[in-house]
Amino acid sequence: MTDLSPQLLLYIVTAGGLFGIGLYGFIVGPQTLRRILALNIIGAGIFMLMVVLAYRGLADDASLPSTDPVLHALILTGLVVAVSATAFALALLARLNQAKAAQCSQDQLRHKQGPGQ
Amino acid sequence: MSLLLFDTILCLLLLALALASILSRQLAHAVILYIAFGLMMALAWARLAAPDLALAEAAIGAGLTGALCFSALAHQQIQLKPDVLSWPQRLWPAVFVLLMLGGVLAALLQLPPTASQLIAVTQAGLGNSGVSHPVTAVLLNFRSWDTLLELVVLLLALLGARQVAPEVKPATSWSLSLSWSRLLAPMVILLAGYLLWAGASQPGGAFQAGALLAAGAVVLRLNQQLSWLSWSNFWIRLLTVSGVLVFVLTALTAILLTPGNTDVVWLRWPPQLAAGIILLVELFATIAIALTLTVLVAGEPASTGAELGCGEGV
Amino acid sequence: MMVVLLVLPLLSALFMLLWPRIAPLLALLTASVCSLVALQLLLLVSQQGSQQVLLAGWPSGLAISLEANSLSSLLILLTALLQLLVGLYAFATHRRDKLGAGFWPLSGMLQLGLTALWLSRDLFNLYVCLELLGIVAVALVSLSGDKAIKPALNYLLLSLFGSLCYLLGVAILYGAYGVLDITVLASQWQADLLSSTALLLMTLGLMLKAALWPLHGWLPAAHAAAPAPVSALLSALVVKGPLFILCLLWLQLAGATQVAAVAPWFAGCGLAALLLGGVSALRTPFAKNMVAYSTVAQLGYAMLALGLLLRFNQPLFAAALWLFVLAHALAKATCFLAVGEITATLGGKRISTLKGASQTMPLAMFAFAVAGGSLIGLPPSGGFLAKWALLQGLWLQGGQLFWLLVIVLATLLSAAYVFRAVVLAFNRADPVAPDFAPRILPQWLALLPALAVWAMALYSEPLLQLLKQEGL
Repeated sequence: MTDLSPQLLLYIVTAGGLFGIGLYGFIVGPQTLRRILALNIIGAGIFMLMVVLAYRGLADDASLPSTDPVLHALILTGLVVAVSATAFALALLARLNQAKAAQCSQDQLRHKQGPGQ
Repeated sequence: MSLLLFDTILCLLLLALALASILSRQLAHAVILYIAFGLMMALAWARLAAPDLALAEAAIGAGLTGALCFSALAHQQIQLKPDVLSWPQRLWPAVFVLLMLGGVLAALLQLPPTASQLIAVTQAGLGNSGVSHPVTAVLLNFRSWDTLLELVVLLLALLGARQVAPEVKPATSWSLSLSWSRLLAPMVILLAGYLLWAGASQPGGAFQAGALLAAGAVVLRLNQQLSWLSWSNFWIRLLTVSGVLVFVLTALTAILLTPGNTDVVWLRWPPQLAAGIILLVELFATIAIALTLTVLVAGEPASTGAELGCGEGV
Repeated sequence: MMVVLLVLPLLSALFMLLWPRIAPLLALLTASVCSLVALQLLLLVSQQGSQQVLLAGWPSGLAISLEANSLSSLLILLTALLQLLVGLYAFATHRRDKLGAGFWPLSGMLQLGLTALWLSRDLFNLYVCLELLGIVAVALVSLSGDKAIKPALNYLLLSLFGSLCYLLGVAILYGAYGVLDITVLASQWQADLLSSTALLLMTLGLMLKAALWPLHGWLPAAHAAAPAPVSALLSALVVKGPLFILCLLWLQLAGATQVAAVAPWFAGCGLAALLLGGVSALRTPFAKNMVAYSTVAQLGYAMLALGLLLRFNQPLFAAALWLFVLAHALAKATCFLAVGEITATLGGKRISTLKGASQTMPLAMFAFAVAGGSLIGLPPSGGFLAKWALLQGLWLQGGQLFWLLVIVLATLLSAAYVFRAVVLAFNRADPVAPDFAPRILPQWLALLPALAVWAMALYSEPLLQLLKQEGL
């Protein structure tokens, strides 16, 4: 069924599993922060898959055994992009929470003043 | 055999940490578990012969994302009762995920065991690329357009985050951490410089160096140092965009320098100048990355928020 | 020439960050120069055929390849022109609408991202472009302040998820074939389980990002919350980016069996989008939401055309697909600008605000009605051209009565929601009083793309020729 060595297989299945776990977390949530974490886990799973795919070059019996530098470069690019997006998402979340908190305190203030009027 | 055992334990640990992070009741636990997960991931990548990626993952995946999540947690309202999901709310997504996972895994098992033939092409091109570390060659020569766009994405994240950022509460610094941080700063700069230099021939490079520098700057920043480090300062703005700016200007100059420019090729470095160009681009990219990450994590100095009349917040 | 189109927006965006004062001037200047260069590129490509470039001068496979064919250059021209127009509108209204200074550099980056996307023929580079586009779009939406934060966050999370699905597909394809260049990959393509899974994952991600039914849930809230110029750019251009990649994947890569399997699904999704999006547009009480739902519905046409193109391989459907994209981009830019102008002046978000608008703001209302005509597909508008190509294609296939009926029904639905607004505007009994005197210039600017979409009819023959031969 598969020509992969057991070690590669193990890591590939783990990468797939991480994708699944992240996907579940992303769908179920419920807090936004957890969904952001779940997205990062999905990302980690995908990058891990790419690392494993790059590792195949070492296991190869080619003349120049080495890991795949193109994949490594793609992963570095992908990591930066992912962390940028996460940072932006967290900034949005912080703003949302602040707005909510302000709303809450206003509501409470109104609630306190309510009976007096 | 023992290596396979190690691999198995590592993989199981990774899966367990990820699952625990998703399922834990408290958000703070989830973030801590996620950081542990990131560190384990770095270990796994080091095991898979990717030390530079492991370095980056430890700095970004665990360190930076963790730091960002913790600062988000601080803004998060404390929930009195955690959201409890009912069984159907958990079951249907789980069924969907399992189906999808089955499909993906079935496909992944079909992957061929041989690596891409691009490895040989990369090795062949390495001689003319100006650097001897293949990953750096791919990042800054073969596929430099990706890297340029990636720097733009990073800059954009900063712009977006700045635009929506709520004001930061000034925290009092701790005298011991203050004195330590002053001691730490020069060492961090030295180390970052080494990483940048090493990137040409060994694992390391602009991003790792930038992340390290940023870590140093954030520590100083959290101790109320570096108050000049803010977006309203023109020189900071210039340095932050310098990563992209120098990249583009260098590429334009390279076009002008090419003799007999009948066909203009974007981003082609002349082979004899490539080493210098790549170092120049990397140097500014490192500074830009460090500044961007610092502002992203530590935010603007609290004083600007107060000046705008936003006050202390709630 | 391609280099100029990429570098100019980027450099000008950077300078805008450094000197925010001259940002609007710089933005308008860049957009006009880019429009001229894009026009030149289009002429060049139509004379000499498509232009290919391997970046950084490395051999194919190692380098990222860019290709400017006639479709790409047409889309680049459209992007530059709309940027110019929206820039002018934003400049005319930025004081009144309190549009943040952040708009200008972001719009420059948007132009960079879109141009890079139309040109790129490298799977991973397309991923970076997609991320760039997603983050710019969200940053632009969040310019609206507090009310837009929640939709923006939701948009960002779903967009990131979409990109990750796409990236997983790219990783699998690279693992299997070891290349990222689309043309090289197409020559090695095998229709097996591995490539099917990768294609499906990428399709899922792209459909989410392009807001194609049933993954359109985030779009109405995000587009309605954004400032008017931003909504115009998002609706007209940004959702088309992922759609373009989707077409690239299925038309250039996928094998015959894979295409045959997926074509009915695409057509079905398009159909559902047309009907359900139309019904939602008819029912929503808010003016901008109506326009946003109409985007969901109109994207259905593109999806339907793609499905039929994959099924019958008839070049007329390719022409229909891209004509829909062009006509919708122009018409939707007008709709958002006109509705934005009306709601800002009359002060209200509901459709009922439009009451009597034909009297208080005749020009803006006229623009909306003209653009609406193209959305419905009245002859001789661009929307009509697209629909005519679609119907002609179906007629040539013969015996496609079901699809004809569906298109008629969808046309009636779009007519219903456009007329709902127009009829209200002609109810002059008790018009909503404007908060301040309506301004003429923004209304004219809103009218321009609507006139352009009707002018498409004048160039119908060359456009059809161009898009038919290209497909992609």
